[in-house]
Amino acid sequence: MKRFTAICLFLLSVVALATPAFALRISIVPDHGNPASPQMGDRLRFHTAIQNDGNAAQEGVLAWISLVETDSGKEQPVDLEDWSAHKAVVSAALLPGQTVESIWPMRLIKAGSYRVVVSAMSRSGETLTASPFVDFTVRQKPVVESSRIVPVALSAPLLIAGLLIWRLRENRARA
Amino acid sequence: MNAVAVIARKEAGDLLRSPRGLSWLLAMAAALSAFSLLLISDAELSLLDNAEAVYGMCAVIMGLGALLAIVMGVDTVAGEKERGSLVPLLIAPVARDRILFGKLAGIAMVWAAMYLLALPYLWAAGGAGQNLAEGLVSLALLGTPVVLGFGFLAMGMGARLGSTRSALMVCLVILLLAASPVILGPSLRQTAVGRIFDWINPLSVALNALDAVIIDSQAVVSQWLHWNLTLLFSGITLWFARDGFYRTAL
Repeated sequence: MKRFTAICLFLLSVVALATPAFALRISIVPDHGNPASPQMGDRLRFHTAIQNDGNAAQEGVLAWISLVETDSGKEQPVDLEDWSAHKAVVSAALLPGQTVESIWPMRLIKAGSYRVVVSAMSRSGETLTASPFVDFTVRQKPVVESSRIVPVALSAPLLIAGLLIWRLRENRARA
Repeated sequence: MNAVAVIARKEAGDLLRSPRGLSWLLAMAAALSAFSLLLISDAELSLLDNAEAVYGMCAVIMGLGALLAIVMGVDTVAGEKERGSLVPLLIAPVARDRILFGKLAGIAMVWAAMYLLALPYLWAAGGAGQNLAEGLVSLALLGTPVVLGFGFLAMGMGARLGSTRSALMVCLVILLLAASPVILGPSLRQTAVGRIFDWINPLSVALNALDAVIIDSQAVVSQWLHWNLTLLFSGITLWFARDGFYRTAL
């Protein structure tokens, strides 16, 4: 029985060492300077630490940030194009015990409830590693309304252009 | 109708009725439209709140108004001289001061037209927010002396240089210099030289006051010092225009 237990423990440790997928660990915390109740236009920052908890070096580590809207009926992934220019970090190699720290800035574009997560993978890893979620809510802010701007921006030059054409025709008729 | 009104209507009428003047107004409207559309088409700019949008729009309106006043101001004396119509005007049985004030009133009427053209744009940008009325009052109080000042400066420069091209060039460089804090951003104002320049530059003085009223919600009357500085600028340039006009007339 003791021999069987020893063999099982040995096999388990071999499996644990041979599985690099769980080697990475990601922690995420919001920046202390983030506004307590952010509104559209504010900037948030998140700090992450990606640590290699395994025994082998992790090569080609890529971490990226994801944002999802969590409002009821509007659940969807958010295209970060306008939100952040800093969408990913790459580390050529992460040695055992080594940590890569990153700061993820974000500009809040739209009101709503959101959940942010940073995911990471390595070239040899077989599964994804994700950070815990960080939730935040963006308050609405009165901004410039396109429904007011567009009619004015289009009609005023057209009106003057019409007046100009009418005046030019009148001058030609007189001549 | 008195001579001042006749000359002012003729000067302003050139802009508001002639194809040449209407094309200028069309260019101004197109510039304001482009700026307005930028406010909503750019993700960064579309997050400006209404007050910031109104402030930005006021700065553009004042800049365009100053540009228009410079073109008008240069044309009033140097342009007439080049077209050969200044001498007949000077020998007309009208006092020189009346001719001068008629031309100055023409520039004022053109600024009034520009201000009216800008009203729908300001309403569209800031109608849903705060401080729009205060912004309109401030633009009228601070923008008028600044814009007229640039018009008077151009008139005086045109009278002295006697060439529209040279006067236009000099005045546009001065306008560009005055607008440099806006172009180069607020970092320029942090230095001692930048602060001094901010206080002697009429465009900066007016923009700082507009910023205080529209964005920081300060009372319009609290900006009396800025208003007086812009009045001083228009007073000095009025003297410059009058002196130049009388030298030409002699």
